[in-house]
Amino acid sequence: MEKDFTRRTFIKGMAVGTMAGYLGAAGLSSTVFKNQLLPQEKLNQVDIGEIKALKIKVVSETSWYDNNVFLNDVKGAGGLLVNQYTIPWTCAGVAAGYQGSNLGGFSTYIEATLMDGKVMKIHFDTGWNPAWMEKRFREEGVAEKLAKKEIDFMVLSHEHIDHFFGLEATLKFYPDIPLYVPKGFYQEGFDFLKGKSFPAANAINNIPHRGKMTVLDSSKVNILYPGIALMTFDVPIILRVFGEQAFVFNVKDKGLVLVTGCCHQGIISYMEEVRKKVKGGEKIYAIEGGLHISPFEDWDPQYDDLIMAFNKYGVQKIGCNHCTGFITAEKMHKAGLPVIKGTARNMTKRDIYLGNGDELAIA
Amino acid sequence: MSHQVLDTLFLEERKFTHIIKQPVVRGVVNVLLAFAFFMALWWVFMDPRGWLRWYTPQYGYMYIRWLLIVAIWQVYIFNFWPFKIEWLEKTHPLQKGLIMIGINFAITGILVWVFYYWIFGKLAIPYFSWPELKKTGLSDFFSREYSSLAILMMAAIASWLSPIWPSAFENYPWHRLQQPAKGFTVLAVTFLFTTYAYFIFMHPHYRVLFYPWQEYTAAFPWWYESFRTLSGNFNVGWIMCATVSVWLTETILEHYPFRLVEKQPWRGLAGFAFILLLAWILFFTFTFMQDMVWGVSVEGAKRLMAPDWRYLHNGELAVILLTVALALYFYFDNWPRKFSTEVNLLVRVAIVIVGAWGLHWLYYKFSPGLLGTQAGYSHPQQFPMAPVILFINVMLYHGWFMDCWPGRRIRKES
Repeated sequence: MEKDFTRRTFIKGMAVGTMAGYLGAAGLSSTVFKNQLLPQEKLNQVDIGEIKALKIKVVSETSWYDNNVFLNDVKGAGGLLVNQYTIPWTCAGVAAGYQGSNLGGFSTYIEATLMDGKVMKIHFDTGWNPAWMEKRFREEGVAEKLAKKEIDFMVLSHEHIDHFFGLEATLKFYPDIPLYVPKGFYQEGFDFLKGKSFPAANAINNIPHRGKMTVLDSSKVNILYPGIALMTFDVPIILRVFGEQAFVFNVKDKGLVLVTGCCHQGIISYMEEVRKKVKGGEKIYAIEGGLHISPFEDWDPQYDDLIMAFNKYGVQKIGCNHCTGFITAEKMHKAGLPVIKGTARNMTKRDIYLGNGDELAIA
Repeated sequence: MSHQVLDTLFLEERKFTHIIKQPVVRGVVNVLLAFAFFMALWWVFMDPRGWLRWYTPQYGYMYIRWLLIVAIWQVYIFNFWPFKIEWLEKTHPLQKGLIMIGINFAITGILVWVFYYWIFGKLAIPYFSWPELKKTGLSDFFSREYSSLAILMMAAIASWLSPIWPSAFENYPWHRLQQPAKGFTVLAVTFLFTTYAYFIFMHPHYRVLFYPWQEYTAAFPWWYESFRTLSGNFNVGWIMCATVSVWLTETILEHYPFRLVEKQPWRGLAGFAFILLLAWILFFTFTFMQDMVWGVSVEGAKRLMAPDWRYLHNGELAVILLTVALALYFYFDNWPRKFSTEVNLLVRVAIVIVGAWGLHWLYYKFSPGLLGTQAGYSHPQQFPMAPVILFINVMLYHGWFMDCWPGRRIRKES
């Protein structure tokens, strides 16, 4: 040892060592003593009420038709953080596309029967390619209901291209439709709602939204009607988007049903939030919509973590589609999860999950 | 240090003339200059609103990680070879900087494109090569992202193991060799260890990255049962803490306490053990802090609540800590130096903790506007380590290649 390594030096060294030990103990506490030291979880559950029955129709879950074309658009623009309003999305020359366009869109039509028998009709997201969306709206009877103002309100799950850029296809039929958007929309999004187009991104809207718009934040569970609520998540998302909201329905004698757009917050994170904040959240009966796991048929070990953990939640019906990805659906089937098969029509490529025109009824 | 140091670097022998005399002004000017250079590099190469837009994110991040390793090789392993001391002393820092940074960029490019894409990935493991991965049917975009991830994971391990030999072992037992024999020997040894470590800590990640699982080519992620994730982010997290520990001991901690061990290789082994211990202390402390702030992570969850993201964020927090430590070391003369070693170290550690707290706040407050990143802590496609390590690279270029000019210049009698 050093010649000048005296008792005094040793004591000083001990002081430093003690500090390091303290930090080490803090580290240890994250494993061994975690449960003793961390604050206990407090449930703050809200009773959202009940509905009698729920019908969910997949209007369009095919947001784009060729993954490679989509990803090349992203790569060419500079990757997954680039602003979606600046990317020249491919609208022509795609063999697998709709009329040559790679753009499709996501939209769901929901009917929730309240306990008094009234049926609430909900238009959830408005897709991407207005031509495709209008076709699907007409085919599924949504266009007619919009035109007759039979639909009570529209909810935009988030600002992403494939859920929002087809706005004109909705406003064409019902420009003053009441609207709920999640907190986090950028100014471009609000401008688009007002009738501003973004030609660089082939995002065209010539019809301003004239109805009431409500921006919902994440501070509480937003109960729209008894048994119907929206939860908002402050979540950063690819292509410079922020915030997403999703539905919680409470169906009498069944339990909670979660209906999502893309679920960028993560389906397990979502179920955990519901468990903490919604009465009956310990039992999720069903899930419907995009689960955002392998939207580009890409993979990450984190997604296997999700599938391996999913079974613990005891969900009885999984009506997933869209950004869930085919690989995920295959893995979920293999893991014994109750994924509902679809009919693979209206340009949905496989029957491995609920596709365009398929329906999930819970009563 | 009273023990015999077996090998020293030119870095440690440099003497400086302070061009800007006032130390705080000198430090602040240098920090601002480094930041301006960083912003220029970020805009040209990385910014999603900028020119080349390589931060897709993995592709650009890969280059940033390798620029760091190559700079470590240039300075710590090759001790500036093939340049001579006289040339380093007499050449203007700007000229030196341009040449050295040019070499740094060139070697990084050659490594990525020739070694990984065209040789290693083509002839051995396809996931190291973007073109080879694409041939398997993967999309162009994810071929590039996956291969970049593999290449940068190798860099993450190299950034931990490469500097340990010159720093802790003082290049023992090759300390008497001349350059470039010493450099190539240490490079070969550390790269060998890096490769072994890669296959133990990262390769299992690739077993479960592809569909179906590649169960004949890689082991099941052995950390899954204990750490509740299949993702290699667990290893990235603690290995980044280890990298940071190497540089904390090298800078603000002045090799304390393992420098008290008199002989090599015991001093080196003690150093390696201390670095590992410090890394795990950092790793578990950061895990605990995150559990306190956001609640305990949930298996299978995404974003803030995902165990693998939490581990990755441990590494990110550690790198933020290191940034402050390096700024203190390079630009503020490793202040304080006037007290006993122990007091100096404690004061520096306190400064670094407070500074890291501030930098963390500044980063998440201003990075969306300045760097074109997305707001929020946990985003699946962005890594605070990328811009922060690029800033560290700039400080290393400035401090190692350019002598922190114009704040100071090298003196000829170094």
